[in-house]
Amino acid sequence: MFAANSHLGARLAIATALTILPTAGTFAHGFAGSRFFPATIVIDDPFVADELSLPTISNQKTETDPSVVQTDISGELSKRITSEFGLSIGYGWTHLDQAGPPHNPNGFQNLEITPKYQFLLNGPHEAVASVGVITEVGNTGARRVGALPFATYSPTFYFGKGAGDLPEALNWARPFALTGTIGYSITSSKKTTSPVIDPDTGMVSLAVDHVSSTINYGFAVEYSNFYLRANVHDFGLPEWVNRLTPLVEFNFVTPVTDRYGEKTVGTINPGIIWSGQSMQFGIEAIIPTTKASGKNIGIIAQLHFYLDDIFPNTIGRPLLGY
Amino acid sequence: MTPTAALSHAFLGEAVPLVGGTVPAPPKEIRLTFTEAIEPSFSGIDLTTGDGGAIATGPAVVDPGNDRQLVLALPTLAPGRYRVRWHVVSVDTHRTEGEYSFTVGP
Repeated sequence: MFAANSHLGARLAIATALTILPTAGTFAHGFAGSRFFPATIVIDDPFVADELSLPTISNQKTETDPSVVQTDISGELSKRITSEFGLSIGYGWTHLDQAGPPHNPNGFQNLEITPKYQFLLNGPHEAVASVGVITEVGNTGARRVGALPFATYSPTFYFGKGAGDLPEALNWARPFALTGTIGYSITSSKKTTSPVIDPDTGMVSLAVDHVSSTINYGFAVEYSNFYLRANVHDFGLPEWVNRLTPLVEFNFVTPVTDRYGEKTVGTINPGIIWSGQSMQFGIEAIIPTTKASGKNIGIIAQLHFYLDDIFPNTIGRPLLGY
Repeated sequence: MTPTAALSHAFLGEAVPLVGGTVPAPPKEIRLTFTEAIEPSFSGIDLTTGDGGAIATGPAVVDPGNDRQLVLALPTLAPGRYRVRWHVVSVDTHRTEGEYSFTVGP
């Protein structure tokens, strides 16, 4: 998801349609056979879909001494051009609560545009895979909140796999699913410069920060109560419980070299997603996993809308074909 | 950009016999209730034995009194485990599918 990418980046610097359908119906967002994958909050989804994440809000104390509390608010729109190819556009705003300088800066993160192609969808094995290039457009955000003044390109592989094809002896495990991403981020420049004022002498000098290429990887382990009820065993639980998906997301960014002292940063995000007919709501904790990731637990929450369900005959369908 | 009525993917809301359940006597039908109205022409139910053996049935039909229910009339089933595979297309063209097992007791 855009919010999490920005967060880590800042820290690392109907009937008519039926008549024309060749196979009677379309799966659209998040389906592979019997499996419905809800949209994860921190890592990107493996599907090409028409959906809107708005807003995604996170809050975390990222530094202790001196104290820095970071709040991010972002949105992302994903649109299918064809049934297998889509574009996503995301933008986020950051507020840093800090003594400074600068004191309590605000600003946008860089605009993020992602073309994505879904090349695999296997219903019986509940599998999906895509490739895309996450492109952070340089100079579209504010340096004071960590946006880089140059572009970042991240070729990324996305996958999702449900466990529904396990034998019935392992029925208890069949509601599990795994999604994940792995990408390689390349920046169009390897360093940034910014003026620094010596507080004692008042002299201005240039500070040079080096930016390494990084490997970005993450995965989500989820257990679908919905799958349990519809495909394994109906325990007669209330409907709102059946629509919950407990999950844990893991997200890491590792510099390709440690030449400039950069270290792996990452978070573990345990949480829960409630999925309705046309939208979902998710909330997760943000738990740092490495020394370089900070020490304090944060929180992230997201409202997410399935545009193919809300607007099935207009913006919720591919621009070309069906 | 005007939203249509609440149309979306048809999820399985209730199944008789129950998903993963055991019934004491052979059921006369399989009745699946979905969260959305479904298209009869593109919806169906297949029933097999637990080890995949075919069971001859007629086609599944949408209940004339409830366009969210898909019904498959059954022959008399012997005690044992059975597998239900269903697929439906909701009236806004979204396809969903699923499968589950139930057991007929002796």
